[in-house]
Amino acid sequence: MADTSASRESCLHVFELEVLLGITGKDFTIIAASKAAMRGASILKPNDDKTRILNKQTLMAFVGEPGDTVQFAEYIQANIQLYSMRNASDLSPYEVSSFVRAELAKSLRSRSPYTVNLLLGGYDAIKQKPELYWIDYLASCAPLPYAAHGYAQYYCLSILDKHHHPDIDYEQGMKLLRMCTDELKRRLPIDFKGVMVKVIDKDGIREEPYVDDKQVYAA
Amino acid sequence: MASGYDRALSVFSPDGHVFQVEYALEAVKRGTCAVAVKGSGIVVLGCEKRSAMKLQDTRITPSKISMVDNHVCLAFAGLNADARILVDKARLEAQSHRLTVEDPVTIEYITKYVAGVQQRYTQSGGVRPFGISTLIVGFDPGSEEARLYQTEPSGIYSAWKANAIGRSSKTVREFLERNHKPGMDRATTIELTIKSLLEVVQTGAKNIEIAIMAPGKNVEMLGSDEIEKTVEKINHDKEVEANTRRAGRGGAAASAGAVGAQGPEQVLASRPAGEGGAPE
Amino acid sequence: MNSLVARYSRPAFQNEGYGEEEQQQALADFASPLSLNFALPPVASSASWLRAMTDDHSNPNCPIKIAHGTTTLAFRFKGGIIVATDSRATAGNWIASQTVKKVIEINSCLLGTMAGGAADCQYWLAYLGMQCRLHELRHKRRISVAAASKILANLVYSYKGKGLSMGTMCAGVTPSEGPALYYIDSDGTRLAGNLFCVGSGQTFAYGVLDAEYKYELEDDEALELGRRSILAATHRDAFSGGFINLYHIQEAGWTKHGFSDTNPIFWETKLKKGEFSNVTSELV
Repeated sequence: MADTSASRESCLHVFELEVLLGITGKDFTIIAASKAAMRGASILKPNDDKTRILNKQTLMAFVGEPGDTVQFAEYIQANIQLYSMRNASDLSPYEVSSFVRAELAKSLRSRSPYTVNLLLGGYDAIKQKPELYWIDYLASCAPLPYAAHGYAQYYCLSILDKHHHPDIDYEQGMKLLRMCTDELKRRLPIDFKGVMVKVIDKDGIREEPYVDDKQVYAA
Repeated sequence: MASGYDRALSVFSPDGHVFQVEYALEAVKRGTCAVAVKGSGIVVLGCEKRSAMKLQDTRITPSKISMVDNHVCLAFAGLNADARILVDKARLEAQSHRLTVEDPVTIEYITKYVAGVQQRYTQSGGVRPFGISTLIVGFDPGSEEARLYQTEPSGIYSAWKANAIGRSSKTVREFLERNHKPGMDRATTIELTIKSLLEVVQTGAKNIEIAIMAPGKNVEMLGSDEIEKTVEKINHDKEVEANTRRAGRGGAAASAGAVGAQGPEQVLASRPAGEGGAPE
Repeated sequence: MNSLVARYSRPAFQNEGYGEEEQQQALADFASPLSLNFALPPVASSASWLRAMTDDHSNPNCPIKIAHGTTTLAFRFKGGIIVATDSRATAGNWIASQTVKKVIEINSCLLGTMAGGAADCQYWLAYLGMQCRLHELRHKRRISVAAASKILANLVYSYKGKGLSMGTMCAGVTPSEGPALYYIDSDGTRLAGNLFCVGSGQTFAYGVLDAEYKYELEDDEALELGRRSILAATHRDAFSGGFINLYHIQEAGWTKHGFSDTNPIFWETKLKKGEFSNVTSELV
């Protein structure tokens, strides 16, 4: 993790229990985000969408301080769409990531920083390559083949380290995602109500139905 | 002539004129013509394109028709550079509106905003009014009914079934008044738009630009070949009509009819040649 | 030049909290005649100061005891939306009132509920009512529930960390969106959903409501379920009680279904239906 500040590292948040996963393959990026919106002792909403569409081929998923997340995501969304409107062309995922990182860095040095962790999934129509950016609330940004936020990192990254290859096709990607979500259901102490899965490829962004009713037990 | 009352913007003349605003209207009158026509479930924007210089790259020269949001289209007449600023403000407001109330703007709302900005620039010192009129068209979110509004440099806005702004707009508006019918379908609406523009555009299809909006769809810019086709059809219809009239009235009237057909072009010939700073 | 223009900037459109070059100032400039400029205590962190002054949990002798503690619920079903609340306001262990109106009538089609700081909720929902009316006048149509809830969410978000304490629901039926229900709290969270319970008694209300809720409820079943859920919470949660305030929202507007004392309802439920069997009705 890029978290170097000791004072910040010490604070542990409920939102660490929210799941954010990203996997790229040959020609697609998969983003999965947990569906539970938790507040105190209750799950307020079991089908929360923690993603926003920025432009035709870039999607942002977010977890973090309640309130900050949606405010930041929609602020970014409005600005990226304004750019598309003004210039009649979309920013590439890489350009979007730079903008988002810069905005977070600006906010980090303000009086009330946004505490938001992000995954940015996209498909670069010019390079014809899928892209995934891992961005945290300290405004670190890293392009990665697969990434996660929160406690999901501790379970899923090892799985992905072992099984992921850059040239996997879509079916293999979904299989990898299934391995990850199964492990989370097996080991994570809370019910995150399954994940919402979005796929970005050359045809744009779509939500992928994800059957998640199977019980998974620890051995 | 105006004895100094045209110097400062925020000063009335004794008889109640704000001269700078009226001069802005003059700039609009010199701009190239823009037309908008509502049909049923459709609204069409048409613009006269200034004839390009030989070396100008028309492919990427900015158009007079611009999108404010996915469902709002704006055309202007007047100073091109002023319009860019105004359109940008409108785009920002459209996104801002989405951000704060979740819904896209209604056409009336964005019109009111544009007119509001224009009004602001008629009431403070050190600024100059926008030298443009705009036609704003589109469909309100979830609505099937076309909307068409006009704004002026003074900040007035009004709703129309069909309207024209810019050079010879009076001629075109009168033409529209004679020919506009309620509930026109897509083809008829497009044809009427082009026909009305042909009243003032001398060089026909290649100097016309057409944008079409339909509910829930993105804007459609009509291809030049399609415009060409419609222009040909209109000319053909005109000829047929002239022929039948000639047949009906006999040879004497024929020459008069031919002169009449030349009419609009004579008006055009007298317009100032395109200079960089001239209003568009 | 912009500063000059800004002086004449559109008071007419400005108040919903968005501008353009004025955007940053928007909040400060907001100043409608009934000014929204609040005095903050001259300390580094007003929120923690407020907490120190008001948190009677850690300090029973704290000087200010804020009215807290509530059960409110709202849910969507095929016949519209049911909104139900209790009516108790507590300040520390003291019951400050048993007859609080926790449903705020924003307009004839929109209701808000209050949980958390009573003053915060009353003030900001009244303010929301004002903004909704202005929106109506400017746009010539009634505000959508989405927009209304977002105005409130943006507003409380701008005061984030300053010690506001609210958990509210906005419910309404509009022709464009049908029945719509939003949850907004002082973190700035805003969620659309079918069913929410808010307040210290939320868990008890969820328990009853979740078990029997379905979208296809009939009107009378839904009203009864709302009433029974609040009753459950008032029975188990010390900070909820008093009267059950029940509303039903339909396309034509909301209708009130009573402000009824929990005590007789409790005994009727117990004696006629045999529920609450842990409570004895006879002296043994």
